[in-house]
Amino acid sequence: MSAQFDIAVIGAGVVGSAIARDLSRYDLKVVLLEANTDLGDESSKGNSALMTEGHDTPAGSLERDLVVRGYQRYMTEAPQLGLPMRKTGAIMLAWTDEQRATVEKLVEEVHSEGFHNVHLLEGYEVARRWPQFRPGVLCAQWMPDEIIADPFSTPYAYVLDAVTNGVAFWRPWRVSRAERNARGWRLSNNRGDVLDAGLVINAGGIRADMVESLVGHSDFVMRPRRGQYILLDKPARAIHDIIAYPTPTPASRGILISPTIFGNVLVGPTAEEVEDRDDRGVTEAGLRALRQAIDDMVPSLRGMPVNTIYAGMRPATNHSDYQIIPRFDERWLTVAGIRSTGFSGALGIAEHVMSLVFPNVFDKQPVNPVRGVRVPDLSETSIRPWADPEKIGADPAYTDMLCHCERISVGEVRDALNSPVPPASIKALKRRTRAMFGRCQGFYCGARVQAMFDEAKVKRDA
Amino acid sequence: MRDPKVLIVGAGPAGLAAAAELTKRGVSDILIIDRDDAPGGLPRFCAHPGFGIGYSAIPRFGPEFSARLVRAVEDKNVRILCSTTMTALDNGPAVSITGPECGYRIIKPRTVILATGIREANRGNRMVPGDRPEAGVLTTGLLQQMVARSVPFPAAMKSIVVVGTEHVSFSAIWTAHHAGLKVRMMVDDGPRISSFRPVGWLAKAIGIDIRLRTHVAAIKARDNRVSGIVVDGPRGTETIACDGVVFTAGWIPEVAAVATGPVKVDGQTGGLAVNRAGLTNVPGVFAAGNVLSPLKASGSCAIQGRRVGLSVAKYLGSQS
Ligand SMILES: Cc1cc2nc3c(=O)[nH]c(=O)nc-3n(C[C@H](O)[C@H](O)[C@H](O)COP(=O)(O)OP(=O)(O)OC[C@H]3O[C@@H](n4cnc5c(N)ncnc54)[C@H](O)[C@@H]3O)c2cc1C
Ligand SMILES: Cc1cc2nc3c(=O)[nH]c(=O)nc-3n(C[C@H](O)[C@H](O)[C@H](O)COP(=O)(O)OP(=O)(O)OC[C@H]3O[C@@H](n4cnc5c(N)ncnc54)[C@H](O)[C@@H]3O)c2cc1C
Repeated sequence: MSAQFDIAVIGAGVVGSAIARDLSRYDLKVVLLEANTDLGDESSKGNSALMTEGHDTPAGSLERDLVVRGYQRYMTEAPQLGLPMRKTGAIMLAWTDEQRATVEKLVEEVHSEGFHNVHLLEGYEVARRWPQFRPGVLCAQWMPDEIIADPFSTPYAYVLDAVTNGVAFWRPWRVSRAERNARGWRLSNNRGDVLDAGLVINAGGIRADMVESLVGHSDFVMRPRRGQYILLDKPARAIHDIIAYPTPTPASRGILISPTIFGNVLVGPTAEEVEDRDDRGVTEAGLRALRQAIDDMVPSLRGMPVNTIYAGMRPATNHSDYQIIPRFDERWLTVAGIRSTGFSGALGIAEHVMSLVFPNVFDKQPVNPVRGVRVPDLSETSIRPWADPEKIGADPAYTDMLCHCERISVGEVRDALNSPVPPASIKALKRRTRAMFGRCQGFYCGARVQAMFDEAKVKRDA
Repeated sequence: MRDPKVLIVGAGPAGLAAAAELTKRGVSDILIIDRDDAPGGLPRFCAHPGFGIGYSAIPRFGPEFSARLVRAVEDKNVRILCSTTMTALDNGPAVSITGPECGYRIIKPRTVILATGIREANRGNRMVPGDRPEAGVLTTGLLQQMVARSVPFPAAMKSIVVVGTEHVSFSAIWTAHHAGLKVRMMVDDGPRISSFRPVGWLAKAIGIDIRLRTHVAAIKARDNRVSGIVVDGPRGTETIACDGVVFTAGWIPEVAAVATGPVKVDGQTGGLAVNRAGLTNVPGVFAAGNVLSPLKASGSCAIQGRRVGLSVAKYLGSQS
C-alpha cells in the first residue's frame, strides 16, 4: 500500500515551505516533497533577502496584495520564530534630471496607493545623512520601513515549524510522475516510491513548469532570469549600511548595494535572461556591471575585499504577475511564477492559498498548533553565542570557535547537525549556521567542518 | 583566571619562538592562546621538508618543526590554551578572548604579542568567474588540513590544476602527490616561476604542464563538481579538464580580530604596522611573523618571533 496524504506540497522553496507551515495548523495529513537533498536550494538561496513592504510591485496585481500581506505577517511572526531582521530602510537615488522626474513621480504614486512612510529627500539632505554616495545626488525616495532579513533561516524556520506540527518532509523526493486516481493523485519518483494525495500544490519554483507538464498543463513558460552578486567583507558595512539602488528604468530595476543581516555588504543582482535555468555561473560581464554599480553609487567601496561571488535564478515566467491557478475539480493547485518577491510574499501567498483551500476543498478549521519553534539567530547584530554568558555557562562548546571568520562555534554546528531537519550537505550546513561563509571560505575550518558533518551523518545513517 | 604578564596570540612559529626567547630572558607568566585545536600554526599541516631554515640547525618537516617549537616552551611557566580565540583588542591593552576553559572575558596583560599568521586568497577573494560547484575548489591550506585531518576528498577528485607557482604552490603539489591526486597543470599570471627555478624543473620532470603568463578565466562544473578550468594565455583560450582546482598563495594577513580596534594596519602589505622593535601603534602591543607582511618562510617568522620576544623582555624590564 502506498502512503496516503490529504495534501502533497511539491517544492520546499520559501513559498512551498510557508504553505506547508500554514497547512500544519489543520488536522490533515500533509507531505512536503523536495527534489533536492535540502530545502531552499533553488531560487530561494541566492536572493537579496529584502523584506519589502510592497510599494515597488505593480499596483493592482495579486503580487502587490500578497507582498503587502506577507510583509505584515513577517513583522509579527518572524520574531516568534527567532528570525532576525533589521530595519535599515531603503533609498532610491537620482543623479540626473530625468531620474529626478521619475523619483518625484514614483513618490507621488506610492503615496496615492497608501504607502505613507515613503519620503522625497532633497540631495543635500541625502549627502548629509549618507556621505558615502557618489556626489551629485539630486533627490531620493527614502523608504524607512524596508528591512533586511535572513534568507536561509526563513524557509528553514517554516519547514521546522511545519515538521514540528506533523507535516512529513520527504527529501530527496523528485516528483517525476503524477497519475489521477479516485481520491486525487498518485505521485511517484524515479526510485519507484509512490504516494497518494487528495490535493496537490505545485510550488516547484524554477521547475514549476516541468511539474505542470506532468499533468498536461502549460499556462506559462519559464523565463529564468539570473542575478549575479559580489559579497563584500564586513568592514564595508562601516561605510555603507542602507539598502540603496538607482532610479529604475523601464528596462531594469538596477543593481542594489545593501547590507546583509550577516554584517556584509551585497552588490547585485544583475538581471539576465538565460537559456539554462541551472546556469548559476558568474561571468566576467556580470562582474563588470557590478563593479560599475559600485563606482556609480558608493565609490569608496571600490577597494573593499571581496568574500565571494555567486548568482541566483529568478523563477520568472512569460507573465508578470504570480501564477496562482486553482483547479480544484482536478484536485490541483499551481503556485508559480513567484519571480522576484517570493521572500517577502511567502506568508501572504500561504495565507491566500489557505483561503482557496479552506473550506473549498477541505471543510476544516485551524486547530491549536505547537508553538515555540525557534531557529538560532544568525544575525551579526545579535549577541553571538560565544559572548552570551548564559549560553556559554550552560555549555562551553559555544566558546570553542570552529569557523573563525564568522565566529561560529562547535556548539552551533553541533546543534544544526542535531536538528529534526538536519542539513544534508555541507552547503546546507553553511546555510544553517553561517560556518564557512566568511572571508576565508574554508581555508581555516573547511576540514574540521567536513569532519563534524561526516561524523554526524554516519551516526544518523546508523 | 589571573591576567598574564604576556599574552601571545597565535601558537605558530612566530608566537612560540617569542615565548621561548622570553623564558630565556627570565620572563615568566606567559599565556599563549590559539584558536585552533592544537598548537603549532600552519607548519603542523605541512607534511613535507623545508621548515625552520635559519632558525633550526637543520631544516625539518613541518609538523616536526612545530612540535620542536612547542617542546621548547613546555614546563617553562608558559601556558598554552588552545581552542581559544581573540575576538577584539583595545587600548590598555585589553584583549577579549573566548574559549571553553576561560569562557568569554576581557584580559589585561602588560604586553601582547600578535602572531596570528596569514591565509591564502581563495576563489571568491580573487573573483574568478564561472560555475560554483559544491566540491573541488580549494586552497593549499584547506587541501593540507584535509590530508592532515584525514578528511576524505570528494570521491570523483582525481586530477587537479594548481594556480600559482610560489613555494607554497609546490607544497600543494607535494601534498597532492602524496595523497594520490594527479597534478595536471600549474598556471601563473607571471612571466616566470615565483619559487626556485629547480623546483619548476622537478615539477616538469614528473609530468606537470607549467603555463606562465596565463590566467584562470573561469571554472567549469558538472553535477556540482569541477569538470575543468578555462585558461587564457599565450596559446589562446583553452579548457583544461580536471576535477579540482587549488588556489595557492595570494597571502592575506589575518588581522580580522584587531581590525575593528585601534591597532594600525599597513595599507601596502595589509599586515600590522610595526616599528623596528616590533611594536605597533598601541602601547604594549607587539607583533611578529606573517601577520606583519606576507609571506616569509617559517624560519624567518621564528627568527622574527625571537627578536620580538627580546624586545618585549626589554620593554618589561624598562617598565618595572
Ligand atoms: C537574484 C534574486 C534576488 C531576489 N531578491 C529578492 C528579495 O530581495 N526579496 C524578495 O522578496 N524576493 C527576492 N527574490 C525572489 C525570491 O527569491 C523568489 O521569489 C523565491 O525564492 C521563489 O521561491 P519558490 O519557493 O517559488 O521557488 P524555489 O525556491 O525555486 O523552490 C521550488 C522548489 O521546488 C522544488 N521542486 C521543483 N520541481 C520539483 C519536483 N518535481 N519534485 C519535488 N520538488 C521539486 C525545487 O527543488 C525547489 O526547491 C530574488 C530572487 C533572485 C533570483
Ligand atoms: C601550504 C603552506 C606551505 C608552506 N611551506 C613552507 C615551507 O616549505 N618552508 C617554510 O619555511 N615555510 C613554509 N610555509 C610558511 C610557514 O607556514 C609560515 O611562514 C609560518 O607558519 C608563519 O608563522 P606564523 O607564526 O607567523 O603564523 P602561523 O603559522 O600561521 O600561526 C598563526 C597562528 O595564530 C592562530 N590565530 C590566528 N588568529 C587568531 C586569533 N584571533 N585568536 C587566537 N589564535 C589565532 C592560528 O590558529 C595559528 O595557529 C608554508 C605555508 C603554507 C600555508
